[in-house]
Amino acid sequence: MHMLRRDKKEEEDGGGNPFHNIEKSSVLQEARTFNESPINPRKCAHILTKVLYLINQGEQIGTTEATEAFFAMTKLFQAKDPILRRLVYLGIKEMSKIAQDVIIVTSSLMKDMTGREDQFRGPAIRALCSITDTTMLQSIERYMKQAIVDKVNAVSSAALVSSLHLSKCSQDVTKRWVNEAQEAVSSDNIMVQYHALGLLYHIRKYDRLAVTKLVTKFSKHSLKSPYAYCLLVRLCYCLLEILCFVYFIRTDSPMFDFIENCLRHKSEIVIYEAAHAIVNLKNTSAKELASAVPVLQLFCSSAKPTLRFAAIRTLNKVAMKHPAAVTACNLELENLITDSNRSIATLAITTLLKTGSESSIDRLMKQISSFMNEISDEFKIVVIQAIQSLCSKFPRKHPVLMNFLSSVLRDEGGFEYKKAIVDSIITIIEDNPEAKEAGLAHLCEFIEDCEHTVLATKILHLLGREGPRTPTPSKYIRFIYNRVILENAAVRAATVTALAKFGAHCEELLPSCIVLLERCLLDTDDEVRDRATFYVQTLKQQQKSLKSTYILNGLQVSVVGLERALHHYTMEPTETPFDVKSVPLETAPITDSKQVREPGEAGGQKTEKVAASRQDIYAEQLSSIPEFANLGNLFKSSSLPVQLTESETEYVVQCVKHTFSHYIVFQFDCSNTLNDQVLENVTVHMEPADGFQVLKCVPCASLPYNKPGTTYTLVHLPEDPTLVTGTFSCTLKFIVKDCDPNTGEPDDEGYEDEYVLEDVEVSVADHVQRVMKPNFGVSWEEVGLENELEDTYALSTMKTLEEAVQNIIKFMGMQPCERSDKVPEGKSSHTLYLAGVYRGGHDGLVRAKLALSDAGVTMQLTVRSTDPDVSEVMATAIG
Amino acid sequence: MGFLSRLAEIMGFKKKEANLLVIGLDNSGKTTIIDQLKPEDKRSRDVAPTVGFTVDRFKNNSLQFTAFDMSGQGRYRNLWEHYFKNCDGIIFVLDSSDKLRMAVAKDELDQALKHEDIMKRRIPILFFANKMDLRESMTSVRCSMVMELEKSIRDKPWHICSSNAKTGEGLHEGFEWLTDTLKSMLNDK
Repeated sequence: MHMLRRDKKEEEDGGGNPFHNIEKSSVLQEARTFNESPINPRKCAHILTKVLYLINQGEQIGTTEATEAFFAMTKLFQAKDPILRRLVYLGIKEMSKIAQDVIIVTSSLMKDMTGREDQFRGPAIRALCSITDTTMLQSIERYMKQAIVDKVNAVSSAALVSSLHLSKCSQDVTKRWVNEAQEAVSSDNIMVQYHALGLLYHIRKYDRLAVTKLVTKFSKHSLKSPYAYCLLVRLCYCLLEILCFVYFIRTDSPMFDFIENCLRHKSEIVIYEAAHAIVNLKNTSAKELASAVPVLQLFCSSAKPTLRFAAIRTLNKVAMKHPAAVTACNLELENLITDSNRSIATLAITTLLKTGSESSIDRLMKQISSFMNEISDEFKIVVIQAIQSLCSKFPRKHPVLMNFLSSVLRDEGGFEYKKAIVDSIITIIEDNPEAKEAGLAHLCEFIEDCEHTVLATKILHLLGREGPRTPTPSKYIRFIYNRVILENAAVRAATVTALAKFGAHCEELLPSCIVLLERCLLDTDDEVRDRATFYVQTLKQQQKSLKSTYILNGLQVSVVGLERALHHYTMEPTETPFDVKSVPLETAPITDSKQVREPGEAGGQKTEKVAASRQDIYAEQLSSIPEFANLGNLFKSSSLPVQLTESETEYVVQCVKHTFSHYIVFQFDCSNTLNDQVLENVTVHMEPADGFQVLKCVPCASLPYNKPGTTYTLVHLPEDPTLVTGTFSCTLKFIVKDCDPNTGEPDDEGYEDEYVLEDVEVSVADHVQRVMKPNFGVSWEEVGLENELEDTYALSTMKTLEEAVQNIIKFMGMQPCERSDKVPEGKSSHTLYLAGVYRGGHDGLVRAKLALSDAGVTMQLTVRSTDPDVSEVMATAIG
Repeated sequence: MGFLSRLAEIMGFKKKEANLLVIGLDNSGKTTIIDQLKPEDKRSRDVAPTVGFTVDRFKNNSLQFTAFDMSGQGRYRNLWEHYFKNCDGIIFVLDSSDKLRMAVAKDELDQALKHEDIMKRRIPILFFANKMDLRESMTSVRCSMVMELEKSIRDKPWHICSSNAKTGEGLHEGFEWLTDTLKSMLNDK
């Protein structure tokens, strides 16, 4: 007992690690001992262990040093000591990437690999494969083939796994080992069988048909190894996913039957893998789940914590999509809340939150609060996300949930955790107007004592946007102004902006806001001072348009585009001042409002970032093509490529439209799926609609198998400003040359051919860029009545308001403002606000009043714009 | 080191150890020579070109040899120098039937002799004029003249003998010389 306690203490001190304070240079110095003879195996083993420790700790060893140590290590081959020899194998594997001339040990390893000492053979194979490159592979091929079918299991497994690693860089050579691998699959040893199946799959993984054959063959053949079964289940799962995706084949295929049969396998690991696969299939129905869920339910009451964890984790995922299916397990789940393993308990409770009914929420929340501070941040985030989704499911329960969130916000926790809470509160506020006041109050309280600058600025920004529109904006001012006194420069700057927004929005608060802002004029930080000066001056002008342009609406150009434009401007100085209008506008990320945000899917934000910068990437690509250098600035690129062919045809073509102020560039991304053809001089011939004029084609010089290529067509837009839409029929024209599928070497002679594509349409949406107007009312007034057009339409094909809203947004290609794209439930009328910028830089605003009637949806469309033609074009977009 | 082994060392009973470095051009018969020195049951039947090196241990009279059998292929020759430091003796194998590449062999030898780990030490060098069974092969005397051994090796003991690695002919004579030289050098120390 005493010993034990001491050990524990040592561990805490870090004194338990004998390599605690070793140094690279001294260890490498010691490694010279390897050169001495005779060799002292014990001493050398100790030094080699230190070297390995250093490498595994991430120590960087230079090539020269590593090579020296490596060659010293090769001398250890003369010792017969088994421990030392196996350390040498490890050393070779670790240093194979950093030292030079590692092939020096090839023959020594080959000798060990074919030698009599069985315990050297497996490691020798692994070490040999790590130093062998494609050029040397031929020389060891014969030995590898022999090793794969060796009767010693460890040797066979080592050879199979090494081949798998080799197949990553030299697919062609390992392909020739299929026969040996086939033989190894029938081995009695479970590991050999598993590894052999793995190798067979990796050799064929690029050939879907061959994989299907492999799976069909082995799912009939009874395998011994549970691991091999797991692999088969995974392969079946992948194949089923592809089948469902491409051919819409439902789950009555033999592969699904195989997975279902695995549910009755005698090994738990196979049963779990099968249940996991069924649950994760993209379009599983309740019927299919019915077979998998009982198995997981059984695991929930297993004695093994790993099984319980696996089962609850999977059920938790099921609960996101099919909460009803999991309801049957509620009893088991409630038992798991008190599980001694906190991870299991957390998952149980979050699953219950998803499956639970409105009435059980209060009870669950109590249970959660009792153990919230016993679990790690990572799981706390899972709980928070579950609560967030609960709130959107049962909006009436928001007071309970909001209270819980605010109480956990006060607790200790890391940045990620706090961020999850704040994000949840913000989402709830945005989705549920009733929760707004309470949520804002909680956030105000939080920033009083917030150590994370990022969160504080985020909340201040939100307050600036939402606060002025609440019934009593004045109560937020105190919280906001406190920041100016107490916080760092970044937060103070955000505060100044938030204050200015209150001033710009609420007439009655304007004088006090100006007073508060004036106090910031003497701030120590430049940024804060600059902002304050700017806002004070703007607010004092008392002009609506100034306020809305410079305070409420913010900067709407793309940041990358602005940087490039400014750089360009400074490189070529001119007399004319810089024009912000020439900068491409920021593409508002397109988020589908119907999409239910699932907790745990952190992907959401990432895709937004990509969408925002994609246009900048296109702009860069286009400007590098000399033909398009003088078209001016790229105004808009269409968001998603349009498929012009079926997905499984010989040639796949998709189109992206790039709009410039007087031109449209059609970008055709083509790929050739025939491996015995090379296409050359590929162009897309377009038959233009009225008024459009095809100017130029930029051909794709060569389109070999499976390598995407791009061809462009430049079209001049009609002079008549109201003529903007049209349909183009397209034909792919090219010269075909037959080629050898293996080498890709084309014949000299080719012949011309063409391939008819689907039509490309240019719609109003292609001329309009989405722009977010945070305060639509002010912008609406600002544009004024001058170019207003109004019309009433009956949309007979639309059955619901949501459908109508989605379609209008799609046709107009504009950004919905004021969250008007979300139709409150149970209403029969709705007003949609859209904002955008038309090609040429004219603002366009649309107000669509929708009413639901028996004969569909009636719409009164009002368009305002700074240009009469633009109003006309926009008004005709829906027809 | 235990007391007994130290005692044995003092008494001179202890088995002496020596590291040998086996070098020479590719296809001259280095691996075959080493193979021939091993006991009959441990020999490998087919000899493939060595990649890098292999280590072998064998006994001759009272000396225990550890031989580093280096690859002779052109691109690996520059790796020989890593093993110069600790060798007690060098075996340089010549293909006596390959008159054309004798000059290359001489070049490699001169380079090795110029290396600082070899130059300063008085280590014995044994030459095997291998493949004596072939008709176009040169005698050992002719080989040493072509290689200008007299001229290039002045401060080290050296010896050349004809051999046939396939049958083992001549190997014994060469190793007798090497063992004697090494033993006398060890005793001098």
